[in-house]
Amino acid sequence: MRRAFVAVLMAALMLAAPAYAGTPQSFERGSWAKLRAAHAGKPTVIHFWGLTCGPCLVEMPKWGKLLAERPDIDLVLIAADPVPQSPDEVAATVARNRLERAESWSFTDRFFEKLRYEIDPRWAGELPRTLLIDAAGNIVAMNGVADLAKVRTWLDQQKK
Amino acid sequence: MRKLLLSAVLLMLGGAAAAQQGHDHHAMQAFTRDAQEAATATPAFAPDGSLWVVRGGPATVSVARSTDLGKSFGPAVAVNAEPMNMDWGPDSRPQILVDERGGILITFAIFKDKRFNGRVYTSRSSDGGKTFSPPAAITRDDTSQRFQSTAIAPDGRVFAAWLDKRHAAAAIAAGKDYPGAALAYAWAPRNEAGRDGAFGDTALAFDNTCECCRLGVAFTPAGTPAVLFRNVFPGSVRDHAVVTFDRDGKPGPLRRVSVDDWKIEACPHHGPSLSVSPNGTYHAAWFTDGSARQGLFYARAGGPEAAFSAPRALSSPEKQPGRPFVLSTASAVHLVWKEFDGERTRVMWQSSADDGRTWTAPVAVADTADSSDHPLLVARGGRVYLSWLTKLEGYRLMPLGGST
Repeated sequence: MRRAFVAVLMAALMLAAPAYAGTPQSFERGSWAKLRAAHAGKPTVIHFWGLTCGPCLVEMPKWGKLLAERPDIDLVLIAADPVPQSPDEVAATVARNRLERAESWSFTDRFFEKLRYEIDPRWAGELPRTLLIDAAGNIVAMNGVADLAKVRTWLDQQKK
Repeated sequence: MRKLLLSAVLLMLGGAAAAQQGHDHHAMQAFTRDAQEAATATPAFAPDGSLWVVRGGPATVSVARSTDLGKSFGPAVAVNAEPMNMDWGPDSRPQILVDERGGILITFAIFKDKRFNGRVYTSRSSDGGKTFSPPAAITRDDTSQRFQSTAIAPDGRVFAAWLDKRHAAAAIAAGKDYPGAALAYAWAPRNEAGRDGAFGDTALAFDNTCECCRLGVAFTPAGTPAVLFRNVFPGSVRDHAVVTFDRDGKPGPLRRVSVDDWKIEACPHHGPSLSVSPNGTYHAAWFTDGSARQGLFYARAGGPEAAFSAPRALSSPEKQPGRPFVLSTASAVHLVWKEFDGERTRVMWQSSADDGRTWTAPVAVADTADSSDHPLLVARGGRVYLSWLTKLEGYRLMPLGGST
C-alpha cells in the first residue's frame, strides 16, 4: 500500500514538474547578466532556438534525446525569435521535444538589438546557435545546427 | 506520516503551480503589451504634397494623412474592417502607393496558418482615403504569398513582386527538395475611371529565392522594373541577385550582386534595398554574414548588364548595422541604415553627389533607446526625408540635410 502510494506520488510529481520547468521565463533587458550569474562556475550549454526557425524545430528532438541520456548537462534553452512569440507556444514546443527538464527562456522584449547586444554584439540573430560555457567562463560558439557529438565530447571534458 | 507526505506533495505542487503562473503572467503581459503595438509605418507622398502613412499593427492596417510633413495626422482609417492575423515577420510591412490621380493602393500580408504561410491582399481608395475597398487576394493561388513590394511604372501601371510558395508546396508534395520560395510578380493597369485596377495573372520569375527577406523594387529609366532579392544559390548560399524586366514585362537573367558566400540553412529575416538613378545606375545595399564579408554593404552597377562594383562596407559588424535603405534622386543618392551601440539605436545617413562613386562621411540623424521600425526614405520635389517609427518617439519625418 505504501509502495503504491509512493508510486502515485512520484507519478504526480513527474507530471507536475514538466509543466513548471517547461514554462519559459521572460527574457528581457538585463536577463542575460542574471542568467550568466546564476550559472557562474558551472559548465553550461545555452541553446538559442526559435518558433519561427525551421531548422531549429527539426533539430530540437535531438536536444531532447541528449538531455535524456546526459543527466550531467546543464542545458538552457532561449527562444530568440526576432519578434516575441506566445510563451504558451514556446512551452508546448519545449514539452513536445521532451525538454521540460531544461531551463527555458523566451524573448518577450521587442528591443531585439539590445537583447542581442547583451549576449554578443556581433551576433546578427541567426538561429539556431549554441554556446558551450565552461566553469571558467570560456565560451565556444556553434552557429547553425549543432554537432551534438562535439557537445558530448565537451561535456566529457568538463568532468576532468 | 501519510498525511504529512501528502501535504508536502500538495505544497510542492502548489508552489510549482504558483511559480508557473508567476512566470506565465509576467511573460504573457510583456508579450501582449508589445504585440498590441503598431510596429511599422510606411510613407508615400501624394501629388498634392500631402503625406500618407500606412501603419501595420497585429490585427489592423490603417492609413492616415498629414498636410504638414508628418507633424500631425488626420484620423486613421482602417483598411481591413475585421481583425486579421497580420504577418509580423520582421521584414514584412504593408505597402502604400499614391498615383497621379490621388488613388491609394494598399497591399499587406497576413499569416493564414501557424506554419507561416501567408496571403497578400490589396485594397484601394478612390475617395481620398475616406474609405477602402474590401481586401482582395492579389493572386488566385492560395498556397502562400509574403513580402509583397509595389511600385508605379512611368506609364502608370502598377508592378507587384512577392515571395510565393506554390512551387515549393508542389515539390514537397512530390517528395522533392525545394529550398526557399519563388519570386512572383503581377501587373495592374493604370488607374482610370471605370477600371477596378485588379492585378492580372501571376507569373514566377525565379525559383529558390530566400523565403522571408523583403525585396528591393525600383524602376529603370527605360520604364521597366528591377528587383533585388536574397537568392538561394547552390549549397544554401543566401547571397543577393538582381533581375531586370524587359519591355514586355518579362524577367531577364539573374545577375548576382556579390559573392558573400553566406551559407546558412535558415532565413536571415534581413532583405536588401535597391534604387536606380535617372541615368540608369543601380544602387544596391544589403546585409550579409558570409565567409567573404560580414555586415552592411553597398555596390553600384552602370546599367542592367553591367557588373556590380566591389562591395563597400557601410559600418562595422560590432555595431549591429542593419536595415539599409537607398534612394536616388536626379541629383543625389542617399543611404540610411541602423546601428546600435549597446544603449541607443542610431539612423546613420550618407549621400553621394556623383552617382554613388564617392560618399559623404556617415552621420547620425536620429536615435532612440528602445525598439524601432526600419528607417525608410521618401522623396518629394527633389527633397529626401527620413521616415522612422520608434516606440518611444512615435512617427518622425525628417528632411535630410540641405542636400537634394
